[in-house]
Formats: sequence, C-alpha cells, structure tokens
Amino acid sequence: MRKLLRLVVLAGLAVWAWHHFVGRREPHERASVSFSDGSAIVLEPTSAEFERLASIARSAIRT
Amino acid sequence: MDASQALAELIELSSQVERAVVLDSGGAVLGSTEESEEAAQRLARAALDALAAAGDLHFSSGEVTGVEVELADGGLFVLREGIRTIAATTGPSPTAGLVAYDLRTCLQRIEEEEKPKRRRARKKTEKENEEKNE
Repeated sequence: MRKLLRLVVLAGLAVWAWHHFVGRREPHERASVSFSDGSAIVLEPTSAEFERLASIARSAIRT
Repeated sequence: MDASQALAELIELSSQVERAVVLDSGGAVLGSTEESEEAAQRLARAALDALAAAGDLHFSSGEVTGVEVELADGGLFVLREGIRTIAATTGPSPTAGLVAYDLRTCLQRIEEEEKPKRRRARKKTEKENEEKNE
C-alpha cells in the first residue's frame, strides 16, 4: 500500500514538473477569424496568414 | 450609454482587457480608453488592419465578424457587430471566450442607448409630419 502511495505521489510530481518546467516554455499562440455566416478558421501558427495577423497584433500590444 | 462610458465600464469590469477602442462603420473612433488621441488612432488602425488581413483570407463568403490573436505577450481582439467595431488588447494568456463576451456586451450597451434615441427621433419626425398635414 505504501509503495503504491509513493508511486502515485511520484507520478503526480513528475506531471507537475513537466508542466511547470517544459510545458510553459512553449508559448501558446493562436489566431482565429470568424465570419458572418457562422464559419470560423483557426490559423496555423507557422503560416504566412498567421504571421501577418501576429505582426499587427504585436504592434497593437506593444504600443 | 455612449461609447466612452461603455468602455470605461468594460475596463472596470474586465480583469483582462487593458486597452480598447470603438469604431463606427467608416473606421472613425467613437470612444477609447487611451489617454491620447494618437494612441487611440494606432489601436484603431491595428483593428482595421486585422480585419483587412482576415478578409484577405477569402475563407468564407460572409463578412469578417471577429479576429482573435493570442501571442506570448498579449492578445488582440477585434469584434464587429452591426455598424460598430470594438478592438481590445489583453495581457498574456487571456480567456478568449470571456474577453469576446465582455466586448460584445460593451457593444450591446452602446446599441441599447442608440435605439431609444432613434425611436424618439422617428416619433418626433412623425409628429412634425402630422402637424404639417393638419
């Protein structure tokens, strides 16, 4: 029982450490556009369209 | 409620929105949380640029009604409803749904104020026409 408890605690710690030290390093970046007909599109962060919107947003955020 | 009042309320109620601006259908600034006219114009320009860039995607035959961009250092939200557009910047990791809801509510408050005004103006015109006919 003790071994099982220790295993659970260690697993929890490992998940927390992964999220804390590795997960946070990847910046969460996304862009989406919605239209009047109800459709919407999420842009790929590597695409030129995303980069165009991101540069507009960057200038707005920093000023 | 006029645009400036609605924006002041938005900033007070939303913990995520940092700066915001409301534009009319022609892109003119109706109200802003910015202290200077220049800063308001810059944010307005960014909102119009974002809408134009989104329109260039030609993804849909419909008009662009919203653009959300979340970056590591903050977010830019642009929402178009009826004849008005609202744009806002946030800090990092905003709750997109909540920000969009707050912006939509802000636009609706401005719209609610406009409706009775329009109704009053229409009644006045009707009354004047009736008087002329008599």
